[in-house]
Amino acid sequence: MDSEEPIVFVIDDDASMREALSRLFRSIGMRASVFSSAEEFLAFKRPDVPAALVLDVRLPGLSGLELQRQLNGSGIPIIYITGHGDIPMSVEAMKAGAVEFLTKPFRDQVLLEAISVAIKRDRENRKDRAELAECQSRYCLLTQREREVMKHVVEGLLNKQIAAKLGTSEFTVKIHRKAVMQKMKAGSVPELVRLSQKCGCHL
Amino acid sequence: MNVARIGIGQYIVGVALSAGFRERALSASGGVVGRLARTKSRSELSNSQGGLPGWNERFKICFMFTSSGKPVYSQFFSSYFAAVIAVWLAVLITLCLGSALKDKVTFFFCAVMVSSWYGGLWPGLLTAFLSWLALDYYFITPLFSLGISTEDLPDVLAFGATAVFISWFNNDQRKIKSSLRQARDELDAKVRERTADLNRTNLRLQSEIAERQAAEENLLQAQNELARIARITTMGELAASIAHELNQPLGSIVVNGDACLRWLAGASPNLDEARQAVEAIIRDGTRASEVLVRTRKLVRPGKGTRERLDINSVVQEVVAWSNDKLQRSGVSLLLKLQDNPPPVTADRVQLQQVILNLVMNAIEAMLEVSESSRVLWVRTEKQFLGDLLVQVTDSGAGIDPKHSGRIFEPFYTTKANGIGMGLTISRSIIEAHGGRLWVAKAERGSTFCFTLPTNREGRRG
Repeated sequence: MDSEEPIVFVIDDDASMREALSRLFRSIGMRASVFSSAEEFLAFKRPDVPAALVLDVRLPGLSGLELQRQLNGSGIPIIYITGHGDIPMSVEAMKAGAVEFLTKPFRDQVLLEAISVAIKRDRENRKDRAELAECQSRYCLLTQREREVMKHVVEGLLNKQIAAKLGTSEFTVKIHRKAVMQKMKAGSVPELVRLSQKCGCHL
Repeated sequence: MNVARIGIGQYIVGVALSAGFRERALSASGGVVGRLARTKSRSELSNSQGGLPGWNERFKICFMFTSSGKPVYSQFFSSYFAAVIAVWLAVLITLCLGSALKDKVTFFFCAVMVSSWYGGLWPGLLTAFLSWLALDYYFITPLFSLGISTEDLPDVLAFGATAVFISWFNNDQRKIKSSLRQARDELDAKVRERTADLNRTNLRLQSEIAERQAAEENLLQAQNELARIARITTMGELAASIAHELNQPLGSIVVNGDACLRWLAGASPNLDEARQAVEAIIRDGTRASEVLVRTRKLVRPGKGTRERLDINSVVQEVVAWSNDKLQRSGVSLLLKLQDNPPPVTADRVQLQQVILNLVMNAIEAMLEVSESSRVLWVRTEKQFLGDLLVQVTDSGAGIDPKHSGRIFEPFYTTKANGIGMGLTISRSIIEAHGGRLWVAKAERGSTFCFTLPTNREGRRG
């Protein structure tokens, strides 16, 4: 199985709705996994693939919005479905980063479009996250001295100025700088700047 | 003397006859009393326990009759005339029989008895007097003269005395008889009057009963209508819940329909999946219509049909309706239902209304306290004596003591938009089912409890 094949998670306490949605996803050959409650979903070990979450707002126990707050760290895009046209709730959901807020009954086209948007977003997120992780792992390889040198390079200081600040020779700074460029796999100073911004390392 | 002996014999016969008449008169009066006892009520009977009016009263009745009643003059004279005829007949018969009749006074006694019986005292005495004259003239020596020999004097006097007594007693009997007849007639008249009275009262009562029944029916109808309006008000508050309940199956139907179309599209349609989708559509369509039927039942005028039902199912239906409102109000629900509760005989819609009303009140009572402490308990419990107890407890601020005494009063409300009939109607519904509804103070908020009998049919209401 292609490890990158996306999957749709459905959480709805209405069995008939769960069944209908999984039938719809099956009909377009999309992987889907259904849950009757937020707790059940949290207990499930999710595969590491692009995913979208179709979530009923009103759930027994943990509600949809509460689940969203808990999940925000993992960044899975959420599409809400609800039996109500409840405006305050939809505003709250969209503010919290939901992809779409659908009121039952809804047409498949709308849902599937939202899902494709969500999966695209998740893919990008995942890519970003992968890059971030890579960047951070590279950064972790730097020594304390190299990190200091990198910080000053990104700030735009010349080797001479860095040497003065760190109280070493310009030659030593040059060696550290070369090591930084190698370890961070940066071909040029602008690329190093971009990488440092991406991993959000507070230099 | 012969005549005197026979005269005394006749006297005795006369007295005996009189006594006989009295007997008959008394037994006849007994009959009247008996008839009275059958027609009169018990209390009236105790009044008439004296049976007949006393002798004095009877005479009074008799005199009243003769004095105030219309005395018929022709009858008055005819009785005297009859007296003369009777004496004349006695003379004739006695003369005709001649010596064949040893006792000459027999027919004269008969004449006295007959005329005193039919004519009364004075015709009787007249007969006695005329008989005495006739006897003296025709049969006592010296014949054909009014003279009396001293030898015959005692006999003649005895005859006279006997005749007078016979007249007297016969008259007495006559009066008694006529007074009895009159008493009976009066009683009959009274009975007829009372019966007519009773009939009139009966008719009036019947019309009053009919009026009252009509009024009661109107009242019942008004109560039902009021209860329905209260239900509609509650349903209005639950409109969002009902819409949600309806949108759930509708949502499934649309998704299934779309899935079905997708399975049917393309070069090789998957008929099996399409069929399953259609089956699911049918199932959800039925589910949606059930929601509508259930809602309609609460809204349309109730027929008040009672059935044996499981109280837990009623509670669960109400919870299904209010679930959405509970979630939106941030209220956690704790259900504690009795296992296998005994069935209750009740009107499902009315019971749902009561429980729904209590649940909605409880939710509103908790809106003032912080969301984390909003808990609603609904319990069903079998009581020691077989009754079922239903408790709805909130964790609100409790009922203000200044309201607590009045919350069951009609049109009394503490809500801004309430009509103040919810609890009044709920209580009347529970009481019509033979149960009780009351409020108690809970640990934090308040508990509304009601009981329903399970071992007997609820009173019709």
